Amino acid sequence: MGKQPGKQKKKPSAQELSRQLTEAYLNDARTARERGRYVAYATAISPVELLKAHDVIPIYPENHAAACLTKRMGTELSLAMERKGYTSHLCAYARADLGYRITGKSAKGGIPDPAFLLACNAQCFTLTKWFEVLSRRYRTPLFVFDTPQWIRDPEARKEIVKYCVSQLRELVAALEQLTGKRFDYDRLAEVMKYSRDASLLYRRFLDMAAYKPSPITIFDALIQMAIIVYLRGTPQCVDYYQTLCAEVQAKADQGIGAVENEQFRLYWENLPIWFKFRDHFNLLASYGATILTSLYVHAWCFEFDTSKDPLETLAENYCSVFSNRILEERAAMALDLFQRFSLDGSLMFVNRSCKAVSFAVYQLKEIIAAKTGTPALIFESDMGDQRFYSETQIRTRIEAFLETLQRRKAERG
Amino acid sequence: MEKGLTTDYNEKPLMKPQALKQLTQIANDPYSCLADLRKKKRVIGSTLADVPEEVIHAAGLHPFLILGTNEPIRRSAALLPDNACSLARSNLELVLGDQATFFDGFVLSQVCDTTQHLSDIWRRKLPDHYFENFLAPRQVARPSARAWYAGECRRLRTALARYTGQEITDEALWQSFRLYNENRSLLRRLYAIKQEAPGLMTNREFFDMVKACFFMAKEEHNQLLREVVDWAEQDKARFADRQGYFKVVMAGIVVEPPAIYDMIDQVKGNIVADNLCVASRSIYHDVEIGPDPAEALADRHLRKPLFSPINADSERIAADLVELYRQAKAEAVFYCHIKYCESQAYDLPDIKTRMREQGIPFLELETEYQTTRSAQMRTRLEAFRESVISKGGRR
Repeated sequence: MGKQPGKQKKKPSAQELSRQLTEAYLNDARTARERGRYVAYATAISPVELLKAHDVIPIYPENHAAACLTKRMGTELSLAMERKGYTSHLCAYARADLGYRITGKSAKGGIPDPAFLLACNAQCFTLTKWFEVLSRRYRTPLFVFDTPQWIRDPEARKEIVKYCVSQLRELVAALEQLTGKRFDYDRLAEVMKYSRDASLLYRRFLDMAAYKPSPITIFDALIQMAIIVYLRGTPQCVDYYQTLCAEVQAKADQGIGAVENEQFRLYWENLPIWFKFRDHFNLLASYGATILTSLYVHAWCFEFDTSKDPLETLAENYCSVFSNRILEERAAMALDLFQRFSLDGSLMFVNRSCKAVSFAVYQLKEIIAAKTGTPALIFESDMGDQRFYSETQIRTRIEAFLETLQRRKAERG
Repeated sequence: MEKGLTTDYNEKPLMKPQALKQLTQIANDPYSCLADLRKKKRVIGSTLADVPEEVIHAAGLHPFLILGTNEPIRRSAALLPDNACSLARSNLELVLGDQATFFDGFVLSQVCDTTQHLSDIWRRKLPDHYFENFLAPRQVARPSARAWYAGECRRLRTALARYTGQEITDEALWQSFRLYNENRSLLRRLYAIKQEAPGLMTNREFFDMVKACFFMAKEEHNQLLREVVDWAEQDKARFADRQGYFKVVMAGIVVEPPAIYDMIDQVKGNIVADNLCVASRSIYHDVEIGPDPAEALADRHLRKPLFSPINADSERIAADLVELYRQAKAEAVFYCHIKYCESQAYDLPDIKTRMREQGIPFLELETEYQTTRSAQMRTRLEAFRESVISKGGRR
């Protein structure tokens, strides 16, 4: 039967597309071994383009851990790990992951075991130690992609890129050894284009928070970033962000805000408190406040230059991610968000799970407050373990902060 | 040689040289003891681990390793959350306090998330000081690490020359290498004597003498060490009786507060080997004189044993410890765990499992620089000696 005009299949929504892509991706990884393919664990900010180009499926224990933390499994999984001698001071992702290894409990039906591990320390150093534990557990090779801090000295930066390019060549050799297959640089060039296009679209999506009212909040960004993390380098990822951008643009064009009667536009410092998503959104929304952005969600806005040697542009992008920059440059990146998104204040979370981000918070607050004159609230807790979340205290402090914003607004007329 | 009178455990009179006393004094109060240093040279502070001090020395500057304080934390608590390790917090405390005037500049290394941030905060809080990062590779398994380390040494050489306005010649570097090699050689000799003659000097005395090398002018340290080595060579035969002592491997990064050594002395543990950054990782392996100074430093760096924050072969951190234990014919491994050191916290459960599998008596000593209540640790050490060592090493 021929197609009837006007009866074409409707393109799925971004939400539906995200569900389909995630399911297909996990299914692909879970059945990889029986199809003779390899699964590698990778840290969320690592040059997975090389894995993709070599037909190795990257799995991200951080994503899996975040799903478990969102489902409030953080304490249970951490306790399982603590009973094996680990401390509750470690990163909640690592604690949830190691707890999952012990108990088998997962919010997503688990993830397949790795044949290879790739850890990049641009994001943080703790990941490499966590992956060492996994390397011992599964007796699989660990490749640490070492990215020295992206210090300001231009000559030093050139040397850092050279060092990282030579490491990427070593990674290519390690992948060839793993699979017994020759690496295909033409395929890498193709993957790089998809990664570049998806990154640009992802940035466009995040930048729509600049609209007033903003059609998205950081909570949307945190949900929608999953696809750029695990599917960058594929045409499906590009397609997904095209769909998402079109949907959000339509909302912006109609002046539809993510919160009703938007009054206060806020910056969030750090990773989210995964198990408090909805509560925080509701509390803020009741004051007409919304968190629009953070450096964290912008970490996947890569700017790959596909006219360059792919290894060079990979090295430049992965070394210069915000978490590997000096404090002043981190602050400059945050200030750029303040300016572009017209932000009124900051919620700055000192996350006991994440030293890499949290140890900069006090200094960042000092710089941002001095440059913007906006108020900031600093509070301490944990991104995934409810034992370290003091409900009443944090709620009271956020409410007091929002009341301060109200008072300032009233005073300024 | 002037000598001071002390007593060994067997109540035999034992004359210890004044040089030993002087070195231990400096180790325990370097800032007071070395107040005159700045009159002679500009002082450059560095932090653990792996800054090539020889390059700083060859630049005509005085390298001084900042190793924290056991005094209470007052200033740095507002800048770093309390789950930063006490080495980081107390290093920051030192330079934000009265000791800032002791230094003209800093070369800080980055080995973990904490040290990376520490270096940012430090630079921001002390803008009037010279500042340089030393970015040692955090992997040592592949050829790229060697090239990078050598490159960092060259970058440091250029940066220091710019700071002083004086070129650092190859000859100056070779001279520094020779001086530092002599220092390491003397300390190794002393370590060997200590291993043979545990009654001759305490753990505390030996590790204090090593610690002093991170603070003092190397020339002076060598001179004092020579006096101690001469004395030790002469007297070692009288104290070679190892009865009552048990041999210990000390593992970790640092051992702080140093009273931990006293406690090990009290239970008659004789530290015969270690993998500490402030001992064996610094004193083993010389820089071999060759055509390129940076390459020579890189060679040495890669010969050093792994330490907790370095990621390479993930099995080596435990395997090296087992090997150290076997080679030293030790009876126990003590592991000094600085609370909130993430590297150690990730390593420890697997290390413990490995030690258990190998039947190696193992004791973890969790501590902080500001630990004041030592009674619990003393009790644990005494119980360990009674229950494990006295029963032939079985739990």
